Amino acid sequence: MATTRALARLATRRTAVRPAVFTRSFASVDPISKAAEATVPDPARKAIPKSRTSTVKDPEPAKAAKIKTFHIYRWNPDEPTSKPRMQTYTLDLNKTGPMMLDALIRIKNETDPTLTFRRSCREGICGSCAMNIDGVNTLACLCRIPTDTAKESRIYPLPHMFIVKDLVPDMTLFYKQYRSIKPYLQRATPPPDGREYRQSIAERKKLDGLYECILCACCSTSCPSYWWNQEEYLGPAVLLQSYRWIADSRDEKKAERQDALNNSMSVYRCHTILNCSRTCPKGLNPALAIAEIKKSMSFM
Amino acid sequence: MASIMRPGLLRSACQNPAASQRMLSSFARSGIKRSSPLIHQLRPQFVHPTIPKSTRIAAFHVTQRQQIIPPLPQKIHGTLNDPVPVPNPEPVHGAYHWTFERLVSVGLIPLTIVPFASGSLNPVMDATLCALLVIHSHIGFESCIIDYIPKKRLPISRMVAMWALRIGTVALGVALYSFETNDVGITEAAKRLWQA
Amino acid sequence: MASQRVFQLGLRRAAVPSFSKVQPAGRMVQRRLAATQHFGESEGQQILAKQRLRRPVSPHLTIYRPQITWYASSLNRITGVALSGTLYLFGIAYLAAPTLGWHLETPSLVAAVASWPVFVKVGAKLAVSFPFIFHSLNGVRHLVWDVGLGFKNVTVTQTGWAVVGLSVVGSLYLSLLA
Repeated sequence: MATTRALARLATRRTAVRPAVFTRSFASVDPISKAAEATVPDPARKAIPKSRTSTVKDPEPAKAAKIKTFHIYRWNPDEPTSKPRMQTYTLDLNKTGPMMLDALIRIKNETDPTLTFRRSCREGICGSCAMNIDGVNTLACLCRIPTDTAKESRIYPLPHMFIVKDLVPDMTLFYKQYRSIKPYLQRATPPPDGREYRQSIAERKKLDGLYECILCACCSTSCPSYWWNQEEYLGPAVLLQSYRWIADSRDEKKAERQDALNNSMSVYRCHTILNCSRTCPKGLNPALAIAEIKKSMSFM
Repeated sequence: MASIMRPGLLRSACQNPAASQRMLSSFARSGIKRSSPLIHQLRPQFVHPTIPKSTRIAAFHVTQRQQIIPPLPQKIHGTLNDPVPVPNPEPVHGAYHWTFERLVSVGLIPLTIVPFASGSLNPVMDATLCALLVIHSHIGFESCIIDYIPKKRLPISRMVAMWALRIGTVALGVALYSFETNDVGITEAAKRLWQA
Repeated sequence: MASQRVFQLGLRRAAVPSFSKVQPAGRMVQRRLAATQHFGESEGQQILAKQRLRRPVSPHLTIYRPQITWYASSLNRITGVALSGTLYLFGIAYLAAPTLGWHLETPSLVAAVASWPVFVKVGAKLAVSFPFIFHSLNGVRHLVWDVGLGFKNVTVTQTGWAVVGLSVVGSLYLSLLA
C-alpha cells in the first residue's frame, strides 16, 4: 500500500503544479494523497454526495480571537551564566485544546521548539507534566486553561527543585527518597494456603486513597517544610507511600518501617501545613496519611 | 530525522545553517542569541509585533533577590539507584518527643481557659501553667531552629542557636519562678495589666 | 513505513538538487551538523555532576498561591514566636532588672500602662490578644488534626477561616470591651 501510494505520488508529482516541495506543514491534509486516492479508486467504496455531508469550519481567527497570555519560566543549561527568566507567549484559545498541556504542546509545535517540558500520557496517570500553574502545583494535562483572557497565566516548574531545563526539574533526590522507604511487600512467611496472600475487604479498604498515588511530586514540592529540609525530610508523597506499606496487612515489616521514620527529621518536619492535600491533582490526602503514621507511632 | 519531520527547520537550515546547528546540537556553544530569537527565524508569523520586546522576555527577578539562606548547588550522593541513607531510630527525638509535645499542648488548653473563666487564683495551677508554657515555648523555638538552620549546612550556627535557646529557657524558668514566688503570678499580672 | 520514508527522501532529494551533495537515495543517513563525542559511564557521571552544580532552584515562596493552609500555618508560627519571644524577653529583663535598676514588678508595670493614652492601650491589647487567640485556636485545630480528624479540603478551609474570624472578633472584644 505504501509503495503504491508513493508510486502514485511520483506519477502525480510530475504533472501537478507545485512550486515548493517543502511547503507542506505538519498537520495539514495533503492534497497529493487525495489525488492518489482519486487515481486509484476503490470499487467497494462509494462516495457520499456533498448534499449529505456536513462541513466543520475552522473558527474564524479574526472574528473572535481569544488571545491568552502565558508567562513561562525559562532556563537554558547551555547558557549556565544567564539567570532564569520569564518568557511570554500568546495563543488563540479558539485554536488550542482545553488543557494547559495542549497550550504548552501548541507553543512547542508552532511557536518555540526550544520550550522544554515533560509530558507523556496527557490523562493524569503518568505524573510527568507536574508543574506550578498559576501558583498551584498540578498536572498540566488535568488543568484547564482559565477562559478569562484578561488574566495572564504563569507557569513555573515545581517549586524549590533544581532545574534541568525550563519546566523540567531534577527528581533524582525524590526517587532516591522513595527508594529508601522500600516500596515493596516485605514478608518472610509463605502464604498459609501456599497460593496467595489474602486480605479481608476491610484490610483492602485501608489502601484506598493510598495506592492511587502516581508520584508526580506535586504535594512534596508544595510543602514549605520540604522546601527547607529536602535533604532529610521525606516529604508528603514518599510518606504517603510509606504509609501505604505500613497500612498493608500483608506486610510483615511494619515495625522496621516505623523505626526507619522514628527520628526528628524523616516524618516530624511535617507541621500539618496541609498544602499537600490541597494541591494533590489525584484528590488524595497525604496529610492524613502522615497523621496516621504519627498516630500509629505515638501510642504504641 | 528532525529535518524530515519539521520542514520549517529544514527551510531555515537551507537559509541559515548556523541556526540549525544551534537547533540540532545538544552541545551548542552559545545557545540562542538573545538579539535574534530562533522564533523570528523559524516562524515569523507567530511573533506578535504589538508586544514590545522588553515584555516578551523579562528577566526573572525572584532569584536575583538576596535570600537569607540560598540553597547550595545540587549534589547527589551515589547513583540514582542508591536509596537515601535511612537514619537510626531515635524515638526520644521522634515519636516520644512528638507525643510529649502534644500532651503539653493539650494540657495548656484548660490551664489558659480556667483561671480567666473562673476568676479564682490557684498558685499550683499558675505554676503548672508557667512550667508548661516554658516547655511549649522551648519546643516551638527548637522546631524553628531545626527547620531554618540546617545542621549539615550551618553546624556552628545551629549549635549556637540551640545553646542560646537552652540558656534562654533556663533563664525564663528562673525568672518565672521568682515572679511566681516574689510577685503576684502571671495570671494575676495579666489580669491587672489588662484592667489597667 | 520505512520504505515509504526512504522513497519520500529520495523524491525530495530529486526535487531539490541544489540542497546538498547528492547522496544515494537508498541510504538512510541522518545528517548531524554537530560533532558528537562518545563518553564512558564515569565521564558521563562527571559531566552530569558538573551540570548539577550550575542548576538554579525554581522559585517557591514568592510564586506559590496564597492559600489559607500555609498562610494560617505560617501565621501560627509567627504568632507563637512573637508571644514566646515576648515572654523570653520579659523573663530575661525581669532577671536583669535588680542589677540594672529597672522596675518590672507588677504594680509599677500596671502604673506605667495606666498612664498610657487610650489608643495606645487598645493597640497594645490588640497586639497581644490577636496573636494569643489565633495561636490558641489554631493550636486546637492542629491538635484535632493530630487525632486524625478534619482532613477534608473543605473542612480545612472552613476551619481555617473560622479561626481567623474568631480571633479577630475575640481580640477586638478583649481589647475594646474587656
